[in-house]
Amino acid sequence: MLQATNLTKKYGNFTALNALNLSVKEGDIFCLLGANGAGKSTTINLFLNFIDPSEGQATIGSLDVTRYAKETKQLLSYIPENLMLYPNLTGLENLDFFCGLGGKSYTKGQLEALLKQSGLQPDFIHKRVVSYSKGMRQKVGIALATAREASVLLLDEPTSGLDPKASNEFSELLLGMKEKGVATLMATHDLFRAKDTGTHIGIMNEGVLVEQFESGDVSFQDLEKLYLKHMHN
Amino acid sequence: MRQVLLIAQKEIKVALREKLVVSLGAVTLLLLGVALYAGYVSYRQQQEIITETQAEKRKEWLNQGDKHPHIAAHYGTFVFKSKTVLSLFDFGLDAYTGTSVYLEAHYQHGFMFRPAQDHTSMIRFGELSAALVLQVLVPLLIIFLAFGAFTRERESGTLKLLMSQGISFRILTWGKIVAYGIILAVVLLPFVAGIFILSVSGIRQEVIPDVAFRALLLVLIYGVYLWLFISFSVWISLRSATGRNALLTLLTCWMFFAVLMPKTVANLSESFYSLPSMREFRARIQEDKRNGLDGKTPRSVRMARLEKAYLEKYRVDSVQQLPFNFEGVSMQAGEEHGNKVYDHHLGKLRETFHRQNRLRSIASLFNPYLAVQHLSMALSGTDMHTFIYFEEEVEDYRRELVRKMNKDMAENSRYGEFYGYKAQSDLWQEIDDFTYQTPTAPVLLQLYHLEILSLLFWMMSVFVLLNYSNRKMKPLHG
Repeated sequence: MLQATNLTKKYGNFTALNALNLSVKEGDIFCLLGANGAGKSTTINLFLNFIDPSEGQATIGSLDVTRYAKETKQLLSYIPENLMLYPNLTGLENLDFFCGLGGKSYTKGQLEALLKQSGLQPDFIHKRVVSYSKGMRQKVGIALATAREASVLLLDEPTSGLDPKASNEFSELLLGMKEKGVATLMATHDLFRAKDTGTHIGIMNEGVLVEQFESGDVSFQDLEKLYLKHMHN
Repeated sequence: MRQVLLIAQKEIKVALREKLVVSLGAVTLLLLGVALYAGYVSYRQQQEIITETQAEKRKEWLNQGDKHPHIAAHYGTFVFKSKTVLSLFDFGLDAYTGTSVYLEAHYQHGFMFRPAQDHTSMIRFGELSAALVLQVLVPLLIIFLAFGAFTRERESGTLKLLMSQGISFRILTWGKIVAYGIILAVVLLPFVAGIFILSVSGIRQEVIPDVAFRALLLVLIYGVYLWLFISFSVWISLRSATGRNALLTLLTCWMFFAVLMPKTVANLSESFYSLPSMREFRARIQEDKRNGLDGKTPRSVRMARLEKAYLEKYRVDSVQQLPFNFEGVSMQAGEEHGNKVYDHHLGKLRETFHRQNRLRSIASLFNPYLAVQHLSMALSGTDMHTFIYFEEEVEDYRRELVRKMNKDMAENSRYGEFYGYKAQSDLWQEIDDFTYQTPTAPVLLQLYHLEILSLLFWMMSVFVLLNYSNRKMKPLHG
């Protein structure tokens, strides 16, 4: 579903991402681990076509994201580290607006149901987002992904800053999406969450994908050792 | 299109929930309302005074009693420039040109139009008119409304989420422009309705089409002008990294276009093409009236030549033998000499005015504010061209009045009778009351083709800028 082929991004002499090759299939949750500046967010931004690649290609559903920007975006949903919505609109109004932009139309009842399924407390659905916590906003993001019937989920450190309960709830929602066959690429610092939720794990260092394996193939301790080894290198 | 409307709808909803935007809109509407009401009251009062005084002066002319025609020509009368109804919207140059003039033989009395007086500029900020609010203050409202169009999205992070939905910058940009256009239209709608109602109420039936047409054109040119400000503000926001940068850039542009450049152009036009003082202007006319335009033909020489020509033409030895009163002929000849001298000096003065106006018109190509200012005054009937048209009509009327008085004197009095001859009221009635019709909008607009071109040029430029930036823009740099 998601494919990076020799994907490279350079800023002058600095190489932010170097010849990345990875593939995420339907129902996979591919977790990219790495320190700040390792190239995780650059990878996500390249798949979103927010920046142009210097070399190589990123495809979603076999379509090149630079040539088919609009079509590929119809297939995906994106949740950044800090999902920002319009503070003067309610959660429901935000969801309705973003669904509309993606060409999806839902009744008020359906939107309420989507937000509830995503774990948002019912009494917050009609409150302005200015009163929402980060976890609540992330839940609106999941509701949006569900509503858009996205087949690809791009997540850029979505659990960063969430309390353990909210983080756990988020993981549950991701697993629910996985069951529906959604291909997920998630950049994260959270080793535990990657091991617990991911089907595949990649470790990035200085723009290079230095390791990739199935999460079931390693224990948490081994994952931690591997990660630290690459970080020290 | 559906996405454009969705974005516009969202923008309007967000703006309505922001107290600052609502407050600014209310203040703007209040200012426009106050300016319009003040303009209307002023228009009604002045119009009533003009109508009453004109009727009074007409009555005085008709009832002046039996008197010598030349005394009647000096007794003279007043004419008044009726206020155009749209002057309640844009006062234009009315405050500087005046509305009445005293007409008498030999003299072209100054209108309260004072071409050579102490004004450093004919274009200046005057009283608070609705036009001034629309030209200067509403663009400020637009700036406060639109400076954050993109920077707020970028700074808050919603831009990335928006772009991840598959919409383009083009759609986002037009959605925002449509939203601000609708907000502004709603704020201005009561004002526009007020203008139309006040403009067509209480005026003569036959001028309603022209006034309505002018009002429609005003709506159109202000629509274009405000659209330019909206689009330009959105474009600056699109290109700026932060809201602070966008706001500072826009305020600097506003300051340049609405304050600095108009003042500079007005000052430059006066420096390049300076006008004589009123005293100099009058003194030169008097001097040339005395000694002729060549400076060496005094009245005595001119009169001697005239007398000689008439004696030869009628083959008589003295003016007493002429079949008419030569004094009437010489009066008319003196009048025509005075007219020729006046036309010569006024022509030079007007040439200077035209050069000044030409410079301002050329400057308007680089500044839509100037273009709209000129077009607004023209459509409101308060511009220089409308005034000059009135001035010419008045002078024609004065000349016809004096000519009829001199003709009556020549035909009905005897040479040497001096003021023994008395004309009666039937002569006064031969002089029609002064009527004046402002030139129609299409006639006037022909004089403002550079201003119209300016608005078209700016519209195209903003379209090109928006399209270029929308194609090149990425949510992130790199």
